[in-house]
Amino acid sequence: MIAAALAAAGPVIPDFGGGGASDRCVSENASFCMDWFRENWSDLFVPALREHVKLTVIAIVIGFAISTVLALLAHRLRWTEKPITVVTGILYTIPSLALFQLLVPITKLSLLTAEIALVSYTLLILFRNMLEGLRGVPADVRDAARGMGLTDRQVLWKVELPLALPAIVAGLRIATVTIISLATVAAFVVNEGLGRLIFAAIQSDVFKTELVAAGGLAVAMALFADAAFVLLQRRLTPWVRARAR
Amino acid sequence: MGDQSTQSSAETLEFRDATKRYPGSAKAAVENLSLEVPAGEICVLVGPSGCGKTTAMRMVNRMIDMTSGDILLGGRSVKQRKPSELRRDIGYVIQQVGLFPHRSIADNIGTVPGLLGWDKARIGARVDELMELVGLDDELRNRYPAQLSGGQQQRVGVARALAADPSVMLMDEPFGAIDPINRDRLQDEFLRLQALVRKTIVFVTHDIDEAIKMGDRIAILREGGHLAQYGTPADILANPADEFVARFVGADRGLKRLSLTTLGELELPQPNGHRPVLRLPDTMSARDALSALLTDGGDGALVLQQDGEVHGIATIAVLGGLLSEGRPPAPAPAPAPATADPEDEA
Repeated sequence: MIAAALAAAGPVIPDFGGGGASDRCVSENASFCMDWFRENWSDLFVPALREHVKLTVIAIVIGFAISTVLALLAHRLRWTEKPITVVTGILYTIPSLALFQLLVPITKLSLLTAEIALVSYTLLILFRNMLEGLRGVPADVRDAARGMGLTDRQVLWKVELPLALPAIVAGLRIATVTIISLATVAAFVVNEGLGRLIFAAIQSDVFKTELVAAGGLAVAMALFADAAFVLLQRRLTPWVRARAR
Repeated sequence: MGDQSTQSSAETLEFRDATKRYPGSAKAAVENLSLEVPAGEICVLVGPSGCGKTTAMRMVNRMIDMTSGDILLGGRSVKQRKPSELRRDIGYVIQQVGLFPHRSIADNIGTVPGLLGWDKARIGARVDELMELVGLDDELRNRYPAQLSGGQQQRVGVARALAADPSVMLMDEPFGAIDPINRDRLQDEFLRLQALVRKTIVFVTHDIDEAIKMGDRIAILREGGHLAQYGTPADILANPADEFVARFVGADRGLKRLSLTTLGELELPQPNGHRPVLRLPDTMSARDALSALLTDGGDGALVLQQDGEVHGIATIAVLGGLLSEGRPPAPAPAPAPATADPEDEA
């Protein structure tokens, strides 16, 4: 795979030589070669970043959908909370590499394998946060809502879910950052994402620039996603900060 | 649904042997409660904790469903109506107010009209009208509940309950969480408001003084939701039905009775040249006047009408004399016919 990327990037690495300042930096395997990073940005890093975003978004969207169903279930039927917590807790506890290995015989080296593992890590976080958010709605607010004639469904959509938003977004923040980091390991089963570059760098005698750049991009992506959720929450929940005005 | 709060609807509310029994509990929370609240009157349910007053109130809008018996609203059983639709026709005010923290004040007040599908312009106009009615500054419109004081929040709660012009209002210790000074003010304001809107109101409190002040009628409940006595405040203070009621209204019930009468309503002796220094307005209650006289220690007070004319002389002897009478002071509402005990119906 790295060969394809390198071919696209021109004459840069094959033998770590060829002339020019950047090539020298690369042939000496210095800790970070800015020129090489720039030259390979669009052909190597942008596609990997895109794949990484895809891996993360799929996992979060599916995980969020499943967790929402589970949280609403546990909110309505209290007894279901325990079993759901136990199952999602076990999924959360299995080491990621082990889970990949367990899945490979069944789902092969595929995107499906990676996503099953990634989704299973989001469930506990998203489920617990959403349930806590729903349960955190003050009893008097719920009582007043019912007393004014809101149906159960209206209480959920107009009162409980909006008030649970801060907790839900907090869960999304943690889950997303976790998945961005775990998705680098997903390259173990599916040749996608920033993890693909990290594995490639390790295989090419630990090519430091590629390793540092791919790792750094994963960190930057996590920070960006986290900040985006903070902004989203402020937009969605203006009342939370209204007290201070 | 009237647009004008001042021409609002009110319905008669009738409890008929309403009973609530919780499974696994030997005693009923409310047992065979029968009473009728005439349209446009405030009926205060009062009693010690565990007497079932809140349960009785919550059975009206089916927040709690009765085990047996019935409650009729405008002659129609609440059991025949869908709970959510029934509740939209009944104002609901609770002690903790329960405003929606994520909605602006205007949106909070417009909740029920929104549920009923009013258009935006109509809701907006109604919100304006209600905010003025309960004395909320228009600039609070777009604030969130957390930005308001406790008293303001309770006003919003009342406005929200009145929004769709309900036929009945249920109020569960609405001023219980407010400090004494503001509570007194809110109570006065609410009575003025009620004089305008004339709703049928079920008002729950554990405070007998609040019951006497707010109630057109008071229902005193004892444990298990048994109705100990139902009547006007004056009637109950003058003729407590039994030992329990007498104890509950307090040893100072004579004084409390004085608080129901203003000096202007009393026939007082004329000055005859005697000019006491202390002057009291004729709108003052006889109880406050007695207190003022005792504090002053003097030989009486000149009671002045609002136009400045002398109404008469109030002395400790005259006001104290009212205490010992076994009936309400002079022109207070006639007790006899109003006493008709609804328990007799059963």
